[in-house]
Amino acid sequence: MIKIVAVTACPTGIAHTYMAAEMLEKAAKKLNVKIIVETNGAIGVENRLKQKDIEESIAVIIAADARVEMSRFNGKPLIEVGVSQAIKNPTKLIQDALSNLYPIYKNEN
Amino acid sequence: MKISILTSPSLINLDLKSLTKEQVFKELAEMLLVDKRISDAKGFIGDLKIRESLGSTGIGLGIAIPHAKSSFVDSPSLVFGRSMNGIEFESLDGEPAKLFFMIAMPESGSNMHLKALALLSRSLIHENFRNRLYKAKTNEDVIKILESIDSID
Repeated sequence: MIKIVAVTACPTGIAHTYMAAEMLEKAAKKLNVKIIVETNGAIGVENRLKQKDIEESIAVIIAADARVEMSRFNGKPLIEVGVSQAIKNPTKLIQDALSNLYPIYKNEN
Repeated sequence: MKISILTSPSLINLDLKSLTKEQVFKELAEMLLVDKRISDAKGFIGDLKIRESLGSTGIGLGIAIPHAKSSFVDSPSLVFGRSMNGIEFESLDGEPAKLFFMIAMPESGSNMHLKALALLSRSLIHENFRNRLYKAKTNEDVIKILESIDSID
C-alpha cells in the first residue's frame, strides 16, 4: 500500500493538532492510502515517525503552525501548510501527494 | 483518564442564547465562573481571544473549540454549549458553528487532561459522534456521550 507520512502541530497543541491528524487519517483511509501521522502537541511528540516510514513514504505532509523538526525529511517530496488546511482539505493534500505534485525538500541547515 | 472529570452537568448548556461569537465567549465563560473553575471571566476571555487571533477555533463541521491556557483558570475544565440555529464564528468552512467546546486549562496542564482533550478533538471529526451531540436531550446525555470517548482509550 502507498505510504504517506505527516506531522501536525498547532500553537496551543490542545486541539487542532489532533483534529488535523484525525482528518488526514480519515481521508487517507477513503483513498486507500496508508498514512502515519506524528502529532506535535502540548503533550509532546506522539507517534514519532520512524526513519523507515519516512524512507518508504512517497511524500511528506507538514500541517503545522508551530515548529517541526525538518531535517529528517531532506530529499523527500514535501508540502508545508497551516494546520487548518489539513482540517479543511485533507483529501486534496493526499491526492496531490499521489499525483506527485510536491517539490523535493531541501533542508538548508 | 476520564474526560468527564473535566466537566459536569452544570457546565453544559444545550440551548445557548448567544447570537454572536463575542456572546458565546461570554455565555460559556460565565458558566465556568459560576462553577468556580475560573477566577475572572474577562481575563479568561482575553486569553481565549489571544489564541483566536492565531486562527479561528471554528474548525468547520459546525464545531468550535475556543481554548486557552490561562492564569485565570483554577481547575482544568470543559464547557459544552449547543446552538441549533448556529452562530457565526469565522469558521474555516464559513458555516455557522453549532457545537461549542470551550476548554480552560491552567498554565501547567497535566498530560492526563491534555490526552483527554486530544481524544475529544479526534472524536469530533466523526459525524456519528456529532450526531449524538445534536440528539442529546439532557445535560446528562452529553456526559454519557463524553464518557463513551473515555472507553476508546
